[in-house]
Amino acid sequence: MKRILIVDDAATVRMFHRSILENAGFEVDEAINGVEALEKTLQNPFDLYLVDVNMPKLDGYGFLRQLRELPVPQVPAIMISTEAEANDVQLAFTAGANAYLIKPTKPDLLLQQIQLLLGDGSI
Amino acid sequence: MSLEFKKNQVAFKDSISVEDAETLLEWLQKKANAKVDLSACTHLHAANLQVLMAARPNISAWPEDSRFTRWLKSALGQI
Amino acid sequence: MNPLLQQFLTEARDFLQTIGEKLLQLEKAPTDAALIAELFRVVHTLKGNSGLFEFPEMTRVLHAAEDLMDAVRNNKLAYSQELADSLLDAMDFVGMLCDEIEVNGVLGGNYANESTRLSDSLRKLNVAAKVQTEVTAPPPEHISTPEPPRLCLPTESLAQLQLLPEIERMQAYRLGIQGATLHWIVYTPHPECFFQGEDPFFQAQQTPELLWGSVVEREPWPKLAALDAYQCNLDFYMLSAASELSLQEYFRYMAEHTQIQLVSPQWLIVPTGDLNGGPVYDDFVNDALALLQAGDLQRLSRIAETMLELSSPDLWLASALRWLLLILELAPQQVEVLQALLESISTLQPIAWDSLPSWPVANTVVAATPAASPPPEQNAPDADVPDATDAPISATVTKVESSRQLLLETIATQQGILTLPLAESWSIGRMQAAANALGGCLHALGAQEHLPTLERASAQALAAKDTAPLLEFIAQFLLSQSPVAVETATFSSTPSTPSSAPAPRIDEPAPALEHEPEVKFNRRSEDNLLGAKSLKVDQAKIDRLMNLIGEMVVSKNALPYLAGRAESVYQVRELSREIKAQYAVINRIAEEMQDAIMQVRMMPVSFVFQRFPRLVRDISRRLGKEVNLILEGEDTEADKNIIEALGDPLIHIIRNSLDHGFELPEIRRQAGKPAVGTLSIRAIQQSDRVIIEIQDDGKGIDPEVVKRKAYAKGLLDEVALERISDQDAMHLIFAPGFSTADVVSDLSGRGVGMDVVRTAIENVNGVITLDSTPGKGTLLQLSLPLSMAVTNVMLIESNGLVFGVPMDNVVETVRIPRSNIRSIKHAKAAVLRGSIVPLKALNALLCIDVAPVANADDELAVLVVRFGHESVGLLVDNFRETVDIILKPMNGVLSELSVYSGSALMGDGSVLMVLNIKELLQ
Repeated sequence: MKRILIVDDAATVRMFHRSILENAGFEVDEAINGVEALEKTLQNPFDLYLVDVNMPKLDGYGFLRQLRELPVPQVPAIMISTEAEANDVQLAFTAGANAYLIKPTKPDLLLQQIQLLLGDGSI
Repeated sequence: MSLEFKKNQVAFKDSISVEDAETLLEWLQKKANAKVDLSACTHLHAANLQVLMAARPNISAWPEDSRFTRWLKSALGQI
Repeated sequence: MNPLLQQFLTEARDFLQTIGEKLLQLEKAPTDAALIAELFRVVHTLKGNSGLFEFPEMTRVLHAAEDLMDAVRNNKLAYSQELADSLLDAMDFVGMLCDEIEVNGVLGGNYANESTRLSDSLRKLNVAAKVQTEVTAPPPEHISTPEPPRLCLPTESLAQLQLLPEIERMQAYRLGIQGATLHWIVYTPHPECFFQGEDPFFQAQQTPELLWGSVVEREPWPKLAALDAYQCNLDFYMLSAASELSLQEYFRYMAEHTQIQLVSPQWLIVPTGDLNGGPVYDDFVNDALALLQAGDLQRLSRIAETMLELSSPDLWLASALRWLLLILELAPQQVEVLQALLESISTLQPIAWDSLPSWPVANTVVAATPAASPPPEQNAPDADVPDATDAPISATVTKVESSRQLLLETIATQQGILTLPLAESWSIGRMQAAANALGGCLHALGAQEHLPTLERASAQALAAKDTAPLLEFIAQFLLSQSPVAVETATFSSTPSTPSSAPAPRIDEPAPALEHEPEVKFNRRSEDNLLGAKSLKVDQAKIDRLMNLIGEMVVSKNALPYLAGRAESVYQVRELSREIKAQYAVINRIAEEMQDAIMQVRMMPVSFVFQRFPRLVRDISRRLGKEVNLILEGEDTEADKNIIEALGDPLIHIIRNSLDHGFELPEIRRQAGKPAVGTLSIRAIQQSDRVIIEIQDDGKGIDPEVVKRKAYAKGLLDEVALERISDQDAMHLIFAPGFSTADVVSDLSGRGVGMDVVRTAIENVNGVITLDSTPGKGTLLQLSLPLSMAVTNVMLIESNGLVFGVPMDNVVETVRIPRSNIRSIKHAKAAVLRGSIVPLKALNALLCIDVAPVANADDELAVLVVRFGHESVGLLVDNFRETVDIILKPMNGVLSELSVYSGSALMGDGSVLMVLNIKELLQ
């Protein structure tokens, strides 16, 4: 089973994404900020990350940049944010995201995007 | 019977088939100041369209269907 | 209550409390940046949460509060007591809404006015951000997408788009910004198409979701006298809002004459008109750029409107201004677009869209499918809260429409990522992640054949710390995915791999060949929506058909029973005859149907043969031998299972032949043979069997050597050594544990000999025979059934039970007078056609202590079966008819009874046990 880490400070959003992903047959873990996400990654790397932008301690960009330097498999990451200005998108990709989705996430779109990034057979 | 010729005017009725293109072309080759009435026309085969595009006769009336007319007007350079 | 909603309320209360606390702290330290950032974050998060639900009144207020805090955070606005009061008011309102939701599960009352009032008062404070937010703040349910410019495939259609009148382009732009996918279609019918009954004009007019269409002449018209009405000289240009998939489907019959191009809405922004005249532009452009910089879009709109009023509508400038106003209305957040347009006004040059940064954002794809949000009055919590259990279902619905586009956008995104400079310390990881994401896309697309190329490109990129190889891969891949490339792929036999990809190099390990052709085939048929002649069918579906026809074949066999009963039990001879006649008809149809289904499973032997040239070349070279391989009858077909089972045994045979059969060139010359040996492999179909012959002109098999070896290995005793014929001796190479090579070679002698080959062939009901002349060469012949789904068995009776014996094993049925049966020691035997056939009682073999029953003439029924190269007579009680059965392998405990190869359901409902002769006699 593919493992996905949801990195978001909002419990509601984590719960929302968790239920979508678990229904689609993924194993889901959560981190409430970038620091916790990095800690969890070092313990046991994931197959994909859903990353919020704005978080306390370490935000989404900072997390992605550090993730991309870790000696772990460099798996795809999706940045999810309410901010849709093109500038933010650029920042996300520069930091190391592979896709960008806008909140509130549409479940089918999220799953499709994950399926594409992980390849078939995981859903 | 979809093309009705009268003196200098041809009226297109309903759908004009590919076979009509030859007749239309021959007629237009003879008439320098031909007029074409498309008001009752619902469709014309592409062969007829290109004959009209090459001959550029005067269109005395356009079809009722506005989408169809839009196509014809753009083809015949009358927008 | 929905747990997600419960979670939202709990978290919302926490946030509201935090917001209140932070605001009070801020009163004491109004410039504390960390505090302000934290406050923004909490408001922002709360707004994000509320967006998951249909609470527009709440989201609207929170959105305004977020904008306000954003302005404070960016030092556009200072903290004030008034600001804190407004925010606290707003949060109280949000808290009240939460209470209402907590109690009723929904927002029942009409809070729209209060919500508007509060958000307005927040926005009034936010002067700096006011203009922008008023323009951008759509109703909360659309918060989603101010659409950033989209990255699209490169196009040459850009210029053609100017064919559209401005008003049409503006209409299309509006649709595009609202989320419609726009496609530009260039349809250039074949000149002779009228003769094929085509009407391109009709085809063009009926284009799905056509927004605009035009027809132009391809070549200038000749003089009317010279015009050929039946040579199509028309080109069609169309703009459609339909998906790529439905357009491909619609134009599938003229795919090679059609180009379908995704159009970014911004490409439609092309001012047209008279370039001369009008007021001086430069001042305007400078003012406008300054306003844009300052974010004062409202004033920008105003001066553009004034300028437009001053200009004649036919001017190029007027057109540009109309576009400017339209973008300000529809997509004011696209600052780059606005800026590019303004610059274009000062230079009077068309906008170079390629130079703009473009990032696809996936939400735009789905924006095309309007979200089915329930009307507010039926605001039931379960209906409006996005219920994740629905997710997989809705996912499959929209999948077909947009997944391809999402795929292309995802790939384009990785392309964009890879064009970023590698300067940062994390950029290598970023590159790896992009490569992995691409791999995922290929998997999801089912384009696994591209994976090795991607992996090579990825390895090169990592080694060189340069993204170029990956970018090259993407470019090639996208090229191979465009409709044109897919079309070409159907005409040439080359797979749709990028043309510049290295041809499979000989020293690379050969990929799993038996799968690869299939994959390509699937790939092509899947991609080629345009008039596919082949159908990709799941193996399981064909298997199901096979099973069904098998059952039908068996159940039709019930009809003769029925006919028999009609006559013998009910004494209706007439009915019996009619049933028999009907049986004949059904029998014929069933046989034809069975044949037709078998045909579907047929595969040519070339699937196996095609790897032999490499194999022979490599091995002979390594052995220092020269061998010329001749393949014949590669088109001969057999059932997929048979073909697949053939691969390994044949490879083993070839290795054996090269290893032991062929002599070194020097020795061949000395023996007066051509230095180059010849290995020929032939496939022939003979009635219902496929025969494969492997013939070499090597040194052949010396029976004396085989005999001595067999004796040495204890496979033969001295008596047998004396008596065994040369032919039989040669077949000893198939005996388990026999290997003729003195030295175990690294090729064929891996401890497995020809017995493995024999077993593999026999497993698919095949027979292997050998003929060899010392000094001249060896001929191996494999005889295999064309299919193995239906087994023809002979029914026999013994001790009141009925058994089946596969007809492949049966040599003949004879009745032998008891007096002709001789006893040699404890064994029985009889002489049949001059040779001695050992006889064994079936009952005894099955450990049933009952003697075989003779008939009235005291004759015993003997079923002569083939056992290896011997014939053995089985003593049974009686013979019955032969029937076609579907052999089902034994399950569970029964599977340990190796004397049975399986069971089958009979027409009368009984279960037939089918004997495994080989196991039985061993």
